Amino acid sequence: MRIALVGNQNSGKTTLFNLLTGTNQKVGNWPGVTIERKVGIIRSTDYELIDLPGIYSLSPYSLEENISRQFLLNEKVDLILNVIDSTSIERSLYLTTQLLELKIPVIIALNMSDIADKRGIKVHLETLEKRLDTTIVSISALKKTNVFNLIQYIKMGDYRKNIHDKFFDHILEDRISKLETLIDHPQKRFIAIKLIEKDPLFDLYQSDEVTSIIEETSLKYQRDMEQVIADERYRTIENIRDEAIEVKKDLLTWTDRLDNIFLNRYLAIPIFILVMFLVYYLAAGAVGGATVDFVGSYMEKLSHWLDITLTNLNASDWSKSLVIDGLIAGVGAILSFLPQLIMLFLLISILETTGYMSRIAFFLDRIFQKVGLSGKSLIPFIIGSGCSVPAIMSARTINDETEKKMTIMLTPFIPCSAKLPIITLFAGYFFRDYAGLASASLYFFAIFVILLSAFLMKKILFKGKTSSFILELPDYKVPSIRYIIYDVTQKALAFIERAGSVILLASLIIWFLISFSWNFNYGVDPNESILAGIGNIFSWVFYPMLGTFSWGATVSAFQGLVAKEQVVASMAIIAGYSEETSEGLLIFGSAQFSFFTAASAYAFMVFNLFSAPCFGAIGAMRQELGTTKRMWKAVLFQTGIAWVLGVLVFQIGRLIEVIL
Amino acid sequence: MNRLKDTHKETIVSLSKLKKGQKGKVVFLHTEDKSLRRRLLDMGITEGVLVKVKKIAPLGDPIDIELRGYELCIRKKDLDDIDVEVMS
Repeated sequence: MRIALVGNQNSGKTTLFNLLTGTNQKVGNWPGVTIERKVGIIRSTDYELIDLPGIYSLSPYSLEENISRQFLLNEKVDLILNVIDSTSIERSLYLTTQLLELKIPVIIALNMSDIADKRGIKVHLETLEKRLDTTIVSISALKKTNVFNLIQYIKMGDYRKNIHDKFFDHILEDRISKLETLIDHPQKRFIAIKLIEKDPLFDLYQSDEVTSIIEETSLKYQRDMEQVIADERYRTIENIRDEAIEVKKDLLTWTDRLDNIFLNRYLAIPIFILVMFLVYYLAAGAVGGATVDFVGSYMEKLSHWLDITLTNLNASDWSKSLVIDGLIAGVGAILSFLPQLIMLFLLISILETTGYMSRIAFFLDRIFQKVGLSGKSLIPFIIGSGCSVPAIMSARTINDETEKKMTIMLTPFIPCSAKLPIITLFAGYFFRDYAGLASASLYFFAIFVILLSAFLMKKILFKGKTSSFILELPDYKVPSIRYIIYDVTQKALAFIERAGSVILLASLIIWFLISFSWNFNYGVDPNESILAGIGNIFSWVFYPMLGTFSWGATVSAFQGLVAKEQVVASMAIIAGYSEETSEGLLIFGSAQFSFFTAASAYAFMVFNLFSAPCFGAIGAMRQELGTTKRMWKAVLFQTGIAWVLGVLVFQIGRLIEVIL
Repeated sequence: MNRLKDTHKETIVSLSKLKKGQKGKVVFLHTEDKSLRRRLLDMGITEGVLVKVKKIAPLGDPIDIELRGYELCIRKKDLDDIDVEVMS
């Protein structure tokens, strides 16, 4: 049996999906698009559950709605499980009325029933069931209430199958019936309604007879037929609502109280700045400083222990070097940042699940509107502080093409978690007591650069276009600890996996390049190595922002393309090869990197932050922008901006250093 | 539509003109962009629906409208195209 899970965004669909299927899930993409497609098997059954994208309607205008519609129409679906948010039943039933027209049995899971109770919303289940002629189960996916019952209903096949689907007035119902006789498709009624709405995707069912009925109906109503249909649906729903739902009027909810503060005219933006500042301060500053050294000291012990063990095993010099100077130095440098990344993932996950993220989009929309973006771009920008790849993909929810392209090109500017090691390394060493401040300042600097770039792009590339912005403002929620743990674990595992694969491989290559000279002699002076040779060719590029020619910094910056944290891994390996000149952190104490000053450190950090993202993110940009040419444009644009900013920061910083 | 407008001349305004806390009943949708229009309809902005201006963004735009038991943020520019009859 195949069951489709359908519901609005924020209806708790994903929570229910996870609860019903457990670990029995497969995640892929819908054909041809990057929207996630999740399939699972419902616990203790062999029923397949497909998670359709969160939608409000089955209109032809959005990608998610089209995917859902195609799936429900063309694939064999035996049952629709429609998740409804009990706190906004009225709006949710609009989608339900469309699902019911599909001649597929529907079970409604009335989710968040506990919250509705608290809000004084009383649902008469039997009346609602009778009016819709479907089976309704009241559940709370978050608290796991009644989910077992829901599975039982599905398993026993114990649900209403005679579908009620007449929601329109006499005239419309009559015309729909007439059209149905002319359509050769199992989903006659659905298509008939779409034809009346003049849905462009059903043109192939047009015939002279069909056209004449539609024309006659339009003439009769003298209005936009899409609106007539929507009006009628909501009119029916209002009737059902009046019979089946009681609401205590004008209750001041917790959401309203919190919004009085978070959306206050004077407080909203200061609070936002404080929140983002705290996120970075906690991740990069407080936790970062403490844990990096802590994990680092264990790494040192490990490498010391390995040295002894390998020597005892009579390992050759080069193999010892490969393990200690290559693998441990490179991968170890990255793993020492894990605790602070977990902190960052945790904080972002909390922002996402509490509903505060939507508020940020709401009150910053005005600013983003000015530069041709909207509050919706903010969501990729915030997800981007975790990782650019899902962030670039989340830009799909932006309806406007221009705005979507701009958002995709600008999202990698946000310091992602892989850039955090770079920030922590530099800020921690050169801005000691102010490391948290320096790290947080970079986030706001990034937003400033995004706004400026967007403004320039709007003026030069995409002239005179304005888009719209429609966003549901969900209630605040206490985040589900289970979900957050799951989310953070997934992201942390992905990071470890990257350290064990991409970073490991890159570290091996760097070790090889630094250990050998051009004529493949092992154990040469690093300055004579292949790596130095490559670096020296390009080091002039970085001269204006470093004030010196450094092959080490040059090759490290290039490796940011593999993964941004590889910049740090590479610097750690290179530093390991040069003599220590002073006390302090290994990297900046080495002869290779002792030239860094606060100005060049900040400049190099800025360059690495804004230049072309890692291959993973470039791939995501390629996919979402549609063509390789656009991808190249984006990469060149980003790297160009990064270079200019790096040089500016260094030159201004040097002036300040001279004055001080 | 014209008939309606003449009889209620004073009370019909665009939704963007309502103040915080004011309620109105949607009487007409002028939105021309097809996809935006459908989206507004899908979200429940149909004829006769009661709406209330719930929150205004700190910078004056967009505006958060309460309707059908939930809240929806829309830009002023798009609210200009929605006519409402002022209720209170």
